[in-house]
Amino acid sequence: MHVFTRRLRLAILTALLAAAALAATPAADPGDAAADALARDIFQQLIAINTTDSAGNVTTAAAAMAQRFLAAGFPAADVLVAGPEERKKNLVVRLRGTGRHKPVLLIGHLDVVEARREDWSTDPFELTEKDGYFYGRGTLDMKSGDAIMATALLRMKKAGVRPSRDIILALTADEEGGCCNGVEWLIRNHRELIDAEFVLNHDGIVGYSISSEQGVPQEFALSATEKMYADYQLTVINAGGHSSLPRPDNAIYELAEGLLRIGRYAFPVELNDITRAYFARMATVRNGQMAADMRAITRTPIDTAAAERLARQPEFNALMRTTCVATRLEGGHANNALPQRARANISCRILPGHSKEEVRQELVHVLNDDAIAVRYVTDDGTASDTAPGQRSQPPSPLLPQVLEPLQKTVAATWPGLPVVPFMNASATDGIYTRAAGLPTYGVAGIAVDRGDMHAHGRDERVRVASFYTGNEFFYRYLKAITVR
Amino acid sequence: MAALLLALAAAAARAAPADAERASNALAREMLEQLIAINTTDTPRGNVTAAAAAMAQRLRAAGFPAADIQVLGPSERKKNLIVRLRGTGERRPVLLMGHLDVVEARREDWSTDPFALVEKDGELYGRGTLDMKGPDAIMLAALIRLRQEDFRPARDIILALTADEEGGAANGVQWLLQQHRELIDAQFALSGDDYSVLTEHGRPLFFKLVASEKVYADFQLRVTNKGGHSSEPVPDNAIYTLTRGLERLAAYEFPFELNAVTREYYRRLAAIESGQRAADMRAILHDPPDREALGRLSQVPADHAITRTTCVATRLEAGHGNNALPQRAAAVVNCRILPGHSPEEVRQRLVQVLADPAIGVGYLASDGTLHDVAPAERGFAPPPLLPEVMTPLDRLVAQTWPGLAVIPSMSAGASDATHTSAAGLPTYTFSPLTVDPNDDREHGRDERIGVASFYQANEFFYRYLRAVTAD
Repeated sequence: MHVFTRRLRLAILTALLAAAALAATPAADPGDAAADALARDIFQQLIAINTTDSAGNVTTAAAAMAQRFLAAGFPAADVLVAGPEERKKNLVVRLRGTGRHKPVLLIGHLDVVEARREDWSTDPFELTEKDGYFYGRGTLDMKSGDAIMATALLRMKKAGVRPSRDIILALTADEEGGCCNGVEWLIRNHRELIDAEFVLNHDGIVGYSISSEQGVPQEFALSATEKMYADYQLTVINAGGHSSLPRPDNAIYELAEGLLRIGRYAFPVELNDITRAYFARMATVRNGQMAADMRAITRTPIDTAAAERLARQPEFNALMRTTCVATRLEGGHANNALPQRARANISCRILPGHSKEEVRQELVHVLNDDAIAVRYVTDDGTASDTAPGQRSQPPSPLLPQVLEPLQKTVAATWPGLPVVPFMNASATDGIYTRAAGLPTYGVAGIAVDRGDMHAHGRDERVRVASFYTGNEFFYRYLKAITVR
Repeated sequence: MAALLLALAAAAARAAPADAERASNALAREMLEQLIAINTTDTPRGNVTAAAAAMAQRLRAAGFPAADIQVLGPSERKKNLIVRLRGTGERRPVLLMGHLDVVEARREDWSTDPFALVEKDGELYGRGTLDMKGPDAIMLAALIRLRQEDFRPARDIILALTADEEGGAANGVQWLLQQHRELIDAQFALSGDDYSVLTEHGRPLFFKLVASEKVYADFQLRVTNKGGHSSEPVPDNAIYTLTRGLERLAAYEFPFELNAVTREYYRRLAAIESGQRAADMRAILHDPPDREALGRLSQVPADHAITRTTCVATRLEAGHGNNALPQRAAAVVNCRILPGHSPEEVRQRLVQVLADPAIGVGYLASDGTLHDVAPAERGFAPPPLLPEVMTPLDRLVAQTWPGLAVIPSMSAGASDATHTSAAGLPTYTFSPLTVDPNDDREHGRDERIGVASFYQANEFFYRYLRAVTAD
């Protein structure tokens, strides 16, 4: 049941009065009280199970969910808890359909990042409702989504819905890091269990798809691709010596010159189907020069002046090109000694279709100095001379069987809310499913105010109203894509 | 029979000094080995007191009365050793100074363990072999040898082996001057903190006697930024702002300037050097100096450092997470300031050169604290060259390395002599070790001294100390 606070209602009203034509209000449909209660119950149970990589246990959460599916009448053969490690098991459950279409796979990760009680206002491992928000680690990233997906499946089962395709739900381990990424492991070891025509990832942007302002949804971002993360280490070695006798060759200066070349360098502007659609759609939402520039860059050849104007906005720049930025420096060993070593970390976000090694070679080319070694930093923190050569998958095509029901369900839930194809600048498990050839879309009916994203931080939270709306939305969307 | 006895006596007379020399060399090496093995870095692993106490033990064993040996200092890990060999009192004492601390050395950077004395291919490797546990061991060995010979010098010989010359909160010489001046008061001081016999391709060029010093100062450049997620880089980046400043700093040259000691240095050196280099040295002594000659000369790091204040970036640190935009970027800039200029004057110059208000320039005191302004005192003018120091040195150098000139010079590396000079003690720095300046590994990796050079320096210093205190 949606309970709007007075303030929120006021905000919506104000937005409407201000003729913000696109400001969307949730539809009047009250949803299903029992489904909301179930989602909240599951949500609460998941938050209370610590699933951090350190002290936590993902298997406990997977087993608790498995128990619910068995109790709801899913045959034991369709409920599997499996994984490479005792504490890192994944749940795979299947709701059987008519088999008219290939299955859809829903993915969500059960693990959460660390949270310390002393940093938080509430116990991070307890679901606390306060002032219209649910607080707790994972409320956004992404136990809310896990609960919503599980609820949708249980609800369909209870209602006796016979979908036109099997619906597989995989709730997995180690998306946030750790030994045993569940999606990767399932693809490698149990591909048959999770094979599908396409994948819906409730991770969305970071557990949400809707950006809102004071609770008023502004746009629904359909994540159809994501950038690939890579760190590189630049190192300059020098014989060093006594600082009383400076020489022209100096590890710090040499590194500094290289960093300035990287700082001045911009990777080429490159749009893909998703970002082109994103800018085309955003052009209808924005106005003035910005809207004109957004339209201009979607044409071929790209209007470079328009691209450079847009690139001044960091969020647009990040959507148009691979970015690499210096994030850390370290050099020297004593104040009075010439540095023997200077190092920098370069953090890159790589556009789909490119490889980490390609970017490493581009950095070497930009630095144009043999004295600066460019190494790839692997996930475990070690440096290697070359980076992986595989190119990340191009964006998933916007399949009509995914997009059309989405537009319909979004319109029904938030009239007037635009659905904008989106490229995620941060990484999700979608990188594994796309690499396995499964078109993957980030879809979560949860809204987060711009500038109020607490995922990975303290006092992570989700609006109570948004959680319930998101729960109802997802059920309807899932039904819409499986009835045809 | 008488002839035979006489011959035997003569042989014994000759053998005795050689035996004493051998014994002293062995002792010096043993003490060097012991000192190298004691980590005296200014880190949690280092302990200067351990080195001071170990040497005090050796002095007691060699017969120095306990009353003449002190181990004292302001901090548990930073105590200094002071020992006095009493003389006739005919003249005022001489103070020998050496520091026990060393700069940090990382095992992974070195070919050998930096905290173990390793002999390899005629060289002794280890952190501090040159700077300056080698000279420490030599001064100790000389004092012990004089004591064992029951030598009565014309002046007391005080040896102070101290802490935190390389940096740290408890500089021993400063502390002694302030708290126990009477223990170290002297007519003049001799420091062993610089090698003296400079070679090129193995051939000695001259004997360097340091009679003036630059002033040491560290500055911190600092840029702060609000940071953010690295997936959306912004143009305003703390690391780039800092590196743009460092690039301007790297391109900047302080003005050329000579003083009495550096003028004398080039005048005498020009007589030894030949060709273009000698001509260039003479040319920079002209007023105004020949710019082309100066340009050529300045390509040699040592000449570059003698003719101007230098500032160089020595450390960098920035950022807190690989995937987060840096909230802070900082660099340490180490300056060596010509006598007659102040650290604050240089700080203001750095601000001008960096030309960016986003880059803060603070002064880093030797105790590591950061200050908005630097001390305004100017470095001391070079002291007069005392004949009681110079005459025996000239004589002994001529005996040991015939034809080698003693050249007074200014040290580019500020040492503890800055403090004794400021306290009115004329200070001369030399250690008769032979080093090729193009292979100077002080503060660097694989620091080393030649085995033969170490023994030669040990014997030289003993003879010089005898000569300087004989009458």
